[in-house]
Amino acid sequence: MNKTQKGAIYCLSAISLGIAICVYLVIKIYFLKSIPEKSSAAFWMAMYFLVTVSSLLFLRKKQSPNEPDTDERDDLIKKRAVVCSFVSVWTLLVFTSITPQFIVGPEGSIPAWALPLINLPIFLIAMGIYSIAVLVQYGRGSKDGEK
Amino acid sequence: MAKSKVRNQVRRLRFENGEMTQQQLADLAGVTRQTIIAIESGKYTPSLPLAFKLAKIFGLTLENVFQLDGQ
Repeated sequence: MNKTQKGAIYCLSAISLGIAICVYLVIKIYFLKSIPEKSSAAFWMAMYFLVTVSSLLFLRKKQSPNEPDTDERDDLIKKRAVVCSFVSVWTLLVFTSITPQFIVGPEGSIPAWALPLINLPIFLIAMGIYSIAVLVQYGRGSKDGEK
Repeated sequence: MAKSKVRNQVRRLRFENGEMTQQQLADLAGVTRQTIIAIESGKYTPSLPLAFKLAKIFGLTLENVFQLDGQ
């Protein structure tokens, strides 16, 4: 597994954990109408600490001193993953722009605190899609170069 | 435009050149071993500079290392 793959896995893990925390907090605060306990905050902080420390796994001895960190195939895979991520940002932006009209009505309004809750996950999901695109291309050996 | 598939003789040439390992070939070509694996299995078609580099490593012309399907 090379650096790009490990970076994608780590990014996906961190984003998944972040999304899980956000969903938990939203449900806890706005639907169950209760404040999260101190112990749950400590639990989630510990999880994030573990995810951060696990990045030490990326420290990898090169199989050969001449081995490059990335080569043309890695760059091509990352380029395609960026394109996927870019398309997903646009798709999500359009979706989140249209959906509130159906929830609160065309003349409705949403509180200001909802905006970061809507916009930040878009970019987190875009990063997740980038990571998935990288892993899928490496996983199937990718038919790069074949046009 | 019709799809073209490029075949290569990298694996055979690697064995014929002193049983070269994939890592050794990767080091000479300046790419990762994963890329050499992908080229040999036909899952990745290298760029022209890399293709020329590989041909030069084996001391052959490009056509002797890479062929279009049908050739």
